[in-house]
Amino acid sequence: MRDRGGPLAGIRVVELTKVWAGPYAGKMLAHLGAEVIKIESRSNLDEMRAYGGVDIDAAPYFLSINQEILSVQVNMKTPEGLDLVKRMIAETDILIDNIRPGAMERSGLDYESLKAIRPNLIQCSIKMWGTDGPLGYQTGYAPCFAALSGLTALVGHEGETPKGMNIRYGDSTAGACAALACVAALHHRESTGEGQFIDLSAVETMTSLVGDSLFAASVTGEVPEADGNFHPEMCPHGTYPCAGEAWTSIAVANEGEWLALCAGLEAPALASDPRFATLAERLANRHALDAELGALTRTHDAGELAETLRNAGVPAFKSMSSLDLCTDAFLWARDAYRMVSDHRRGTRPIIGPSWRITPDPPLVERGAPLLGEHNDYVYRVLLGLREDEMDDLIARKVID
Amino acid sequence: MTGAMTGQPPSALAGLIVVETAERVSGEYTGKLLADLGAQVIKVERPGGAPTRAMGPFRGGESALFAYLNTSKQSVVLDLASPADRALLDRLLERAHALIDDHDEAGVRRLGLDPAQIAARHPALVHTLVTPFGQGAPAQFQNLRPINVINAGGWAYHSPSETPPGKPPLKGAGRFLPDYEAGIDAALCTMASLLRLRRTGQGQSIDVSEVEVQLNRIDCVLDRMLAGDADPSEERTAYDMGGPGTSFACADGHVFLFMTTQAHWKALCTLMGDPEWASAFREDWLEFDCTPANVASFRASFGEWIAFQPKLAITEAAQKAGVAMVPVNTAADLPVHEQFVHRAFFQQAQHPTFGPVAYPGACYRMSATPVLVRSPAPTLGANQTEVHHA
Repeated sequence: MRDRGGPLAGIRVVELTKVWAGPYAGKMLAHLGAEVIKIESRSNLDEMRAYGGVDIDAAPYFLSINQEILSVQVNMKTPEGLDLVKRMIAETDILIDNIRPGAMERSGLDYESLKAIRPNLIQCSIKMWGTDGPLGYQTGYAPCFAALSGLTALVGHEGETPKGMNIRYGDSTAGACAALACVAALHHRESTGEGQFIDLSAVETMTSLVGDSLFAASVTGEVPEADGNFHPEMCPHGTYPCAGEAWTSIAVANEGEWLALCAGLEAPALASDPRFATLAERLANRHALDAELGALTRTHDAGELAETLRNAGVPAFKSMSSLDLCTDAFLWARDAYRMVSDHRRGTRPIIGPSWRITPDPPLVERGAPLLGEHNDYVYRVLLGLREDEMDDLIARKVID
Repeated sequence: MTGAMTGQPPSALAGLIVVETAERVSGEYTGKLLADLGAQVIKVERPGGAPTRAMGPFRGGESALFAYLNTSKQSVVLDLASPADRALLDRLLERAHALIDDHDEAGVRRLGLDPAQIAARHPALVHTLVTPFGQGAPAQFQNLRPINVINAGGWAYHSPSETPPGKPPLKGAGRFLPDYEAGIDAALCTMASLLRLRRTGQGQSIDVSEVEVQLNRIDCVLDRMLAGDADPSEERTAYDMGGPGTSFACADGHVFLFMTTQAHWKALCTLMGDPEWASAFREDWLEFDCTPANVASFRASFGEWIAFQPKLAITEAAQKAGVAMVPVNTAADLPVHEQFVHRAFFQQAQHPTFGPVAYPGACYRMSATPVLVRSPAPTLGANQTEVHHA
């Protein structure tokens, strides 16, 4: 395989992952330079290869996640296939899975068994509730684990049923945390030679994102609730309506910013209104303040208003729609979006990694793999099979 | 110190020294992730203390936020504008493996802590800088706050799902959701680069954009729009999945129902005792007749039924019946929740000011190197003497 550089160059990852959280973990490691091999099978496809199209090699959901991933086909339902998987694991540093609770164990891919073939293996299992415990058998969907985690209870308009973050929230963060834990384990292996098992709970991932609220509750005894855009130390703090049903976010932390906001909105009456004279007054009268501000912002273009306010020293930014994001010149110019190769169209834009690393940046150039695109590399180079052996496995659909 | 000397279990990042000059939650959380994994994180505080020490809530005059974000760290006070203290920081960086910062470009350049100067003076240092829009962004983008970041990255506009156009986009859970997301990527990159440092002896500069973390977390929705597989729009519902899944008020709190298949629907009907109104829906309506009108009609009838059900009993019965309905747990529910208790997610500890506390732990249980709060957040300058003798 070509040298892509990056901090994880030389690290190999095998993944038995599906849908989003697991593949996202693999993507994070690949985008840092690791060689990530995804084990796939025509008879047991990642659902993402099926959504939104009939061509499993050009499925939009799959293409949008799995860049710089290698694909190898194995039918794990055959003993021979399972044996080949174990031979791949014997050559890997990290194994990641997010398949059903108990499935790895049933296939003999539990950590104790795998340690016999790869003594210093780092294995990470991503499950809704982690691998054990009274509810460890349960499976679920991202909005369910956000609800269970304590996060959903904190997101909603004031006084309403807490609806939580967008229904898509949760999977990708669980994958990012899995990648993080795997790299931490690489350090322990580097200094001691010892591998380990990492048991990641997707529910707990969401819980960890509200850690300060939960810790504060344990200290103060006060149970936090969904609070709209309320901030106890900034006011105004929220999103304000602009022309055309657009919104702009504004966060005012001190008196200088408050006066700059009033000036920026050409509203001297607000600046001298005794209801809003201090942070304490503004917090006490924040609903009245939000109404006053909303009346002033409503006629402005959201993006222009935010820029005017930023230039005046007030932190503000337009609430970006998907159309805003896709057409944002700054994001394109900064390579937040970048092009990778695409088997059908030649190139495809992707959401690039959130990081830039210099020197020796990890290259991210290749789009998601065709099913089995890297069979030759894995079977011939990595496992050392002869061509006729591989042909035989294909003929008998062990490689399928 | 080794685990054997302190009686603590081994930690993944033992032996690594990280200096943290960060003063915002994104950088401080990066440091916390590394510190609870066992790195020696030396927090550099300005005279008077880190800004988060002044952020609430407070008890006994101490910030619970600071106490959460700075577990397992050490503290030294340095006035980086003074040449003597700035020289001390350089001495610290000489023996450190990583530097975590989150200041704007003007700020880091003024102190000689910009990536070019750090790389020139400390070639064997991993330097991670996490900022709202990344390096090179216009100056006016560099002091944005978490609510601006989550709006700039698109999650606010699309949260909660189904928010009508007249209601404000939301900041997410708590005050710092985008900071925590950015901290995860920053800690991941820092550790990856530290691995390379172990192998090559060479440091790197890492530039993390908080907004780009927000974008990356929605890759399989937003990228399909970028690539022309789906249409981007001004719709608040552009990230939604459709269907009846949402939160509902019940007798003693809230539940979340997720339902996509005929099997889910049949199981729910059984759970509800096959009410009359349910027969108005096709058995396969979720797959083939999931119109907005049907969703609204379902929610109205279901909402009347669930309003009188107790949160825990009904969701437990639902799980057993194959219905993906779960409690919307609150901060009061979690510490006594059987699964959280079993996994010991909360670490019970004694805090010098607060008394007994429960630290939320990591979402990854590591068999050989458990993640732990090793010490409470430091008092201001707790490790000053050690630094002066470094």
